[in-house]
Amino acid sequence: MFDWKLILEVIGMLIYATFVGFIFMGIERKAMARIQRRVGPPIYQPIIDTLKLLGKKESVSHGFIYDFGPIFALGASIAALLFIPIANFQLFSANADLIVVAYLLEVPMLGIMLGAMSSGNPYSAVGVQRGLLTMVAMQLPYGLALIAIIQHWGTFKLNELVSLQQAHGWSILVPALFVAMIVFDIVFQAMLGLEPFDIVSAPAEISMGPMVEYGGKHAALLFTQHAVQLFAETAFFAVIFLGGASNLLELLIKQIAVLFIAIFVASIYPRFTIDQAAKFFWKWPTILGIIAVLLTV
Amino acid sequence: MSERKNEDFISYELQEFKLFEPLFRWARKKSLWIVAFCTGCGGIEMPPLATARYDFERFGIMPNPAPRMADLFLITGYVTPKTLKRIIITYEMMQDPKYVLAHGSCPINGGVYWDSYNVVKQLDKYIPIDVAIAGCMPRPEAVMDGIMEIMRKIENGEADGWKRYRENYEYYRKNQDELFGEGWREKDARRWLAWI
Amino acid sequence: MINELMIIIFAPLVAGVIAWALDIKILREILGLCGSAVPLALLLRLYNESINYSFTIGGFTLQFQLSTLTWYFAVIASLVGLAMAFGMTSTSKSSYDWLFALMSYTGVLGVFLSADFVGFFLFWELMTFASFMMVLKRNKHESLKYFVLSVIGAYAMLIAIGMLYAKTGALDFATIRQILYIDASMGTITKGETVMIFALFLTAFGVKAGSVPLHVWAPGAYSENDQSYTAFFSGALSKAGAYGFFLIYLLMAYKLYAELGTFHGHLTFAYIIAWIGAITVVVAGFLAVLQEDIRKLFAYSSVSQVGYILLALGLGTALGFSGALFHVLSHAVFKGLFWLVTAAIILQTGKTQFKDMGGLAEKMPFTFAMGLIAVLSLAGIPPMAGFASKWLIYEAAISAHMPLVAGSIFLGSGIAFAYVVRFLYAVWFGQRPSDLEDVREAPLPLLVGMTLLAIPNLVFGIAPGLVTGYINKILGGEVVGGDYYKLVTPTGTYNALLVTIALTIGLAIAGLIYLYGARARKIPVTNTYQSGNPVTEEFNLSIRKNFYKPLAEALDFWLKYSWDRFYERLAGIIEDLADSLRQSFYNGNVQSYSWYLAIVLLILALWGVL
Repeated sequence: MFDWKLILEVIGMLIYATFVGFIFMGIERKAMARIQRRVGPPIYQPIIDTLKLLGKKESVSHGFIYDFGPIFALGASIAALLFIPIANFQLFSANADLIVVAYLLEVPMLGIMLGAMSSGNPYSAVGVQRGLLTMVAMQLPYGLALIAIIQHWGTFKLNELVSLQQAHGWSILVPALFVAMIVFDIVFQAMLGLEPFDIVSAPAEISMGPMVEYGGKHAALLFTQHAVQLFAETAFFAVIFLGGASNLLELLIKQIAVLFIAIFVASIYPRFTIDQAAKFFWKWPTILGIIAVLLTV
Repeated sequence: MSERKNEDFISYELQEFKLFEPLFRWARKKSLWIVAFCTGCGGIEMPPLATARYDFERFGIMPNPAPRMADLFLITGYVTPKTLKRIIITYEMMQDPKYVLAHGSCPINGGVYWDSYNVVKQLDKYIPIDVAIAGCMPRPEAVMDGIMEIMRKIENGEADGWKRYRENYEYYRKNQDELFGEGWREKDARRWLAWI
Repeated sequence: MINELMIIIFAPLVAGVIAWALDIKILREILGLCGSAVPLALLLRLYNESINYSFTIGGFTLQFQLSTLTWYFAVIASLVGLAMAFGMTSTSKSSYDWLFALMSYTGVLGVFLSADFVGFFLFWELMTFASFMMVLKRNKHESLKYFVLSVIGAYAMLIAIGMLYAKTGALDFATIRQILYIDASMGTITKGETVMIFALFLTAFGVKAGSVPLHVWAPGAYSENDQSYTAFFSGALSKAGAYGFFLIYLLMAYKLYAELGTFHGHLTFAYIIAWIGAITVVVAGFLAVLQEDIRKLFAYSSVSQVGYILLALGLGTALGFSGALFHVLSHAVFKGLFWLVTAAIILQTGKTQFKDMGGLAEKMPFTFAMGLIAVLSLAGIPPMAGFASKWLIYEAAISAHMPLVAGSIFLGSGIAFAYVVRFLYAVWFGQRPSDLEDVREAPLPLLVGMTLLAIPNLVFGIAPGLVTGYINKILGGEVVGGDYYKLVTPTGTYNALLVTIALTIGLAIAGLIYLYGARARKIPVTNTYQSGNPVTEEFNLSIRKNFYKPLAEALDFWLKYSWDRFYERLAGIIEDLADSLRQSFYNGNVQSYSWYLAIVLLILALWGVL
């Protein structure tokens, strides 16, 4: 009746993804610290942070949607993860294609925004406004990069993309798709919430933005969501542009490479304000995206 | 809020994690998050601790602007009544278990400002303090020693400022109301309303 | 025995006239509900049948036809109409509203079920007239704008019909289609005439559907109206415009292809329609984000979403058609739901600007849940109907190799997210203003209407194969494969049930982690971190005005130009011209009147009459 192998794969993949996601968050902090010539926290620090947050002895709530927001965000991140072909585990990826995964990777933001809005704090309202405007700004280059990929390979399905790339070589070896990768990399900074586009949770300006009223177990859920989201997004990048992988170790190396590019860019740049970010996204990344798309028509 | 309303704040039940308590205690020790709230003249001693020379991030300590996610409150220097109101409001927004680390001599006995009309002489009457570090200002090495002390106390289960606050809430509340007057939150909020 | 098509079309009108004539409070509501339910019931009973009917009146033969395509549109219109009737039971105050609402309902059904141009035009005008009368009662200026633009569209359509009649000698769809198909290879209708007919039809249907240069009536007309009626207005009347675009395809596709050819591999005429749709999506979307009035925000959102339908139609492939047809269904259903929710809010609170509302989620929980379902559907979140139709449109657009158009869909979806979250935040969450303390839940008929529209959202989201199976029948082939839960196209798949299950698994896992932690206690909204400052209820803790001010700053170059101001200025110039002419001729001066008289008599004398 149930496909036991699939269920075991799913559970194993979720545990692996959460763990590796936390390690990625730790690598982010450690790499930033090393760049600033400090000793940073140990790599497994976010796991300790999440355990501490889970171990808080009290918890406050501002209503039903406030509680539901982080749960919805984590649920959507897990759902997005299950539809990406990770290494040689197909999971559910034969049933949903690129557009579905791209949408499911944006749904968690809606969940966090819902929760942040219902907490009734002006700082979180400003954070919601900035987060949504960042999303509006980055959708156009994001869409153009994805369209370039789909038009070149001629298919929407992710497992077919992986097999086509393994037959013909990685996506970034095609010049038009290399331009698309540059565009997607810029958008990737905004998707991960790193400088120069981390206006959403600008810590010194608006006290953590949307998450200012979240503490205890809600914050633990949000951290777990960020870990799973990080894993899913880096895996998505690796699958589309870097040819997927045939085993988990190769995928890990590709994900860490992508993550390091993001960290290096983030450690150099200060923060854009939101209208500067919108104007930037609609100028150069859009032009590069249009070039990439017209080259693959 | 003219009568003492205990039930809306302090009298709820706390969760006790019996199974994983040692694990959580280790996690609390290794990942203290500081509320980014710098009072008084000791605020200038925070950046040396955070930057490359005396890096405290290697212990997992991170400044966090939101009090609901943080668990260590640094009182760095003297405390005036105006600041004390904000400290109390922020302290009550933090979630248990929470710890307070007092830098300098001013929170202990008034320090340099022992005869001023506007400085709180004995902070322990209003907010429970876990570890006090003497000095005017203590050097970063002394602050690191204080942080080690707090970590040791958490590990042994002795850092119970939050328990003292809950159990002796009437005492702390009486002292706060004596200093500020009853219903001080609404009065203070309305004072600033004209500026908004 | 009266033919069923006649009953379907005229039942609402008859019920409306009787309700207006009787004008007894409960009786007119019951009559209105019955009149709206009859078409839906009959149509559902006639599910798979095909009926033709015609009658002759005044020298013209009016033909009606119930085929797969017209059944689809008519059922959607009648579903929204029934929900409108439920809503109007609570919100309408006079029988005037009932009369004209049901009259426009008849008009829409007549438009969809007509098989020849005379009936089409008659019912089109009936529909426009009835909706104009609804707007007239509330705001004269907006109704004038609507009227002038609709009249321009209607006259354009009349000229086009006349040209077609002159060239083909027939008025019914089947004959015209046949003749134009043959003429595609012969070429007796010249290219200029074909382009003229095409442009006239574009104007006519573009006005009704609200595509960009001609959309200026939409915000005013949708706002200044009974909001339950706007559910029908924007849910079904704009679909009449989209149906018109379908008609262009049905009748003139071959002819236009033969005359206008292709452009970089796409049909030229289809490319024009796709670009009109794309521009509508983006422009109307950006304008929606910057609005302060809840009705105007949804009005611009309606215009933007109908742009999606036009865009999908303009792709010219079978997949594009199926995407467009599915989006007709999901837009009607979620936009109708949004307007009913707006009607409930305005009825219960009496406020229409965002800056007066807030924190209503506790007071109106059921309305909030319905609003949340509509929000999830419009934003395109996977297990809802809105996502299934958007997915089909994405697939179609990218497979048809129209990348810039597809890029504008991405941008439009992001913008839709933004304004829908604005609606959620400003109305349902945050701090409640003190004068909204005793707001109660909306009355029962409105809630029934909302549920009626929310159920198709959920059902067709989880089982989109039900709709695409029928669309395959309309298009006559296996365009979108798969079973009830799965959509399979040549290049992609979407298994809605599995996505729902995956989301449920994720929610369950998250819920487990949540339940493990400490129990959460509820705190009032003033217990919030404002950098440690104490806060009371008098502080303003939400941002309700100008929520998206940075976007206005980022777009300030483009916002200097506005179609609305252009039209107003144009109307002003014509009015001034007419005024100056009038004042120069009718100047009240006896001398100039006697001159006029003398000149006319002179002309008549020279002509030999006198």
